[in-house]
This record gives sequence, C-alpha cells and structure tokens, in this order.
Amino acid sequence: MNEPRLPEKTAPADSAVPWLHPRPIAPDRNQAYLSLRHARKVYQTRSGDVEAVGLADFDIEAGEFVSILGPSGCGKSTLLSMVGGLEPVTEGEIFLEGTRVNAPRRDFGYIFQDPTLLPWKTVLDNVLFPIHTQKRQVADYEAEAHRLLEMVGLADFKAKRPRELSGGMRQRVALCRGLINDPKLLLMDEPFSALDAISRDDMNLALVRLWDKYHKTALFVTHSIREAVFLADRVLVMTARPSRIVADLKLPFARPRDVTVQETPEFNRICAWLREQIQAGYGRPAGPG
Amino acid sequence: MEVAANPALSNAALARRREMLLTLRRIGLPVAAAALFLLVWEAGTRWANIPEVLLPPPSAVLDRLVRNFPLLMTHAWPTIWQSLAGFAIATVLGIVLASLLSASTLIRETLYPNVVFFQLIPKIALAPLFVVWFGLGPEARLSFSVFVSFFPVVIATLAGLDNVERDLLRLCRALTASSWQTFVSVRLPHAVPYIFSGMKIASTFAIIGVIVGEFITSRVGLGYLILFASAQAETALILAAICVLCVFGLAFYGVVAVAEKWTIRIFGDAPR
Repeated sequence: MNEPRLPEKTAPADSAVPWLHPRPIAPDRNQAYLSLRHARKVYQTRSGDVEAVGLADFDIEAGEFVSILGPSGCGKSTLLSMVGGLEPVTEGEIFLEGTRVNAPRRDFGYIFQDPTLLPWKTVLDNVLFPIHTQKRQVADYEAEAHRLLEMVGLADFKAKRPRELSGGMRQRVALCRGLINDPKLLLMDEPFSALDAISRDDMNLALVRLWDKYHKTALFVTHSIREAVFLADRVLVMTARPSRIVADLKLPFARPRDVTVQETPEFNRICAWLREQIQAGYGRPAGPG
Repeated sequence: MEVAANPALSNAALARRREMLLTLRRIGLPVAAAALFLLVWEAGTRWANIPEVLLPPPSAVLDRLVRNFPLLMTHAWPTIWQSLAGFAIATVLGIVLASLLSASTLIRETLYPNVVFFQLIPKIALAPLFVVWFGLGPEARLSFSVFVSFFPVVIATLAGLDNVERDLLRLCRALTASSWQTFVSVRLPHAVPYIFSGMKIASTFAIIGVIVGEFITSRVGLGYLILFASAQAETALILAAICVLCVFGLAFYGVVAVAEKWTIRIFGDAPR
C-alpha cells in the first residue's frame, strides 16, 4: 500500500436532493471544534502492516452529534479510540479546540459496548466514579448525578447495585456516568449493540431526549443504519478494506426529535441511500483509489 | 401424593412444603449416612471383638473425649491460636505479594516463576528446615504454617487482580486514572471474591502446617497429643484429639466461607 489518497466523498448523484451535497471542509481548520487531519492507524503484524483506519479527515462542529456508521471490522471503533486518546495515531493529527489529542483527557466522556459498571458500587456511586478517580469535589457533582439518573428514569434505582438492573438500565447508568463530568466530547462505541431490539429502541429514545436538553458534541459508532440516522445530526459512512470514510452527510431532521421521524419517507430514503453506500463499499477493490 | 390430595393447600403452600422437604433431604441424607456409618462401626467393633487399641468403637472415643476434655483443650489452644495467626499472616503476606506481582512487570517476571516452582514442591518435606531455622518454640510451627498456607492466597489474589475485564481497565485509562487508583478502586475490590476462595484453602492448609510442625517438635498441641497417644497405644485418645481438630477445622472453614458468602453479595462471584 503506497501513498494513501483521500477518497472522494459523497458523489452528489442527484443534486436535487439537498442532503446529498458533500460537506466542504472549512478553509481554516483551526476554527474547527474537533478536527481529524489525515489520521491513520496501521498495526504491524508478522504478516505485514494492517491498516485499521485508512484516512480520516474531517471536522466536527461544537454541539454536533455525529454517527460513524460502518460494517464490523471497518476500523470505526479504532477511530473512536484514537479520538479519545486511547490509541496513538500512526499518522496524522487530531485536535480538539486547537490542542492536539494524544492521551485520554479529563474532559471526555466514554461509553463502551458493555456498561462496564463496578458491581460493588451502587448506581449513584457508579455515576460518580469519574468524579472520584479524577479527584474532583464529589459534592459539586452529586446534584448533577441525581438529575441525570432521574432524566433516564432511574430515580428509584440510585441505591441499587448493577446486578439488580436489566441490561438496558445498566447502559443508562453508563450513559449518566459518561455525562457526569460535563464532557467536551462524548465518545460512544456501539453502546447499544449488546441490547435486545426493544431495549435498544428505548435507549435510542432516551439518548435523543437527553440530546434535546444537552447538545453535547458526540461521536457515536454504530453498525445500525436506522440508529445512526435517528440519533445524529450528521452521518459518516466507513467501509472496510480499505478502511475509508466514503460518505459524509448532514441530516435534515430538526430537534427535538420524535420517534415518528422514523416513519417519514425522507428518513427511509436516507437509510436506503446509506445502505447503498455501505454495500458499494464491499464491492470496492482493495488498495487506494 | 398426600400433599396433592389436600385441596385446602394453596400452590404457594405446596411449593413451600416441597422446598422444605428438599432442604430436609439435602441435610438429612448425609447426616443419616454418617449416623449409619458410626452405627456400623460401633456394632462391628463389638460384634467382631476388635481390640480397642486397633479400633475403638465411637462410644469409647466419646467417653474419652468427655473424660479428657480439659487435657484436650489444653492441647487444642496452642494449635488453634497458631493456626489462626498463621492464617492471618499468610493472608496479609499473600495479598501483598500478589499486589507486588501484579503491579510491576519486572517483579512479576522475576518472582512469579519461582512462586509457581515453590508451589510444586511438596512443602511438607521442608518442615524440618523450619525447626533448624526457628528452633523448637512456636515460631517454627507458626512460620511453617504461614509458609504452607500463603501460596493459595497469592495465586488466587493474583488471578483476581489480573482477571479484571479489559473494558474496565480501558475505562480507567479513559478517565485518566493513575495505576494506583486503578488498583485501589478497581483491581483490589474485583479480587475480593478470589481472595476469599484462596483464604478458604489457606484455612485448612494453616492447620495442616501447625499439626505437621507439632508432629516434629512440639511438647504441646493436638499434633503432639496425637503422636504421644499413638506412642502409648491410646487409640481412643488419638481419635478424640482428631475429633477436636475436626470441630475446630470445620468452624474455621465455616467462618471463612460465611464471610465469603457475605462479600460475594457485594463484590460479585469469582468465576470458577
């Protein structure tokens, strides 16, 4: 693999459809809130280099909720880890508000596929766990913890331990824990993919409701097209082999968002278009270009 | 059948009754088997006229137990306190060593293979060495008891410290937690159930260590009493001493097991 080039983003096949227009990258990228500049991740293995993330080159505005959509193995989780500072980039740079991200930061929030709650701590203490580890004043955040838990419908479960909760409820706790330090960037790595379909719908709704109130900048990795579209302001489509971002589209749905948006023709048209992009990614020949 | 025939009983009452019968069965069957064993033993020794030196009947052992109770207690006390102290020291040492092994790759690479090696040698064979090093007093028995019982604690604790889910460690890293914080707030609490399963083994090993030590050197303790009684061909006294030992061992193990149950309720179960 030589000289990786940037792929062309979103060929506007039908310019009559407004959401199909590719998003231009602002000329002054230092103004961007979160900026990934030619970020690339290569793992060295015995059988040669493996490209986990091809080229990621995009900016995200403050307050934007961005879904990264792609099939498993396309490197979307690795991309998220790089943004979170958990994985070093092989090439390129990542900036948040002009400062380079190369290690985990106190002002990030992280939500994983598993709730990763501490079984010996109560729900409330789990939510406050980041505050404890980051040596912040717990008293300053207790009210916020109660508020978050009430917002996701866990007001009566604050003193319970994780084992007494269902999978969906545990992930709600993780959601509150991710938000407790008022993060500048919330990184979500397929947070609902281990849940059953009904709990997942529930969680999507809970998250959308939370977003109507919070407007945090968020990166949400998923392999569910409908979830990506329902939650986000913008969707990036990633393909595997080569790992590339092949589409970048701004969604036309307003907030506060309602479940009924999922039944609109536009919603379904966008989902169909995204599916095509993903499927086209499978047929793409390997290598750059 | 009888139960089902009674229409006045509700389903809940039926279920409760079945549960009770099951519990009764779970406890009753082994107790009945043990009682039967003792009965056969008693009847067998009498009927076959086996000399008491060879195998006294249970009634003779009980008689000895009651008559020599003060003597047995005098000898039980040193055994008990040395076992408890050995167990306590072994637990603390084991947790500290496992923590060091888990904290530093260098220490682990240097020491862990040696720990495993020591685990493999029959430690009982080293008992006379402790007499050489620590003399004839209780120190020899105590230190040998620690030596025998701390390995299971080390191995179990280390497993608990290491088996933390990768995602939890990722979370700690994402939260910018220091490795000390990760140790105190995640690794150590996660290891608690593992530590208890190590402690259960250690509780029995600690007694074995003390008894073996008493076999070799002591002038007091149940181990000494057993050896002394065997020299005098007082088989009933041997068995009486073993009875006391059994009761102590059971109570000791029971306390640790109950404490384990209690912590599992908070810290979760260790996978077996």
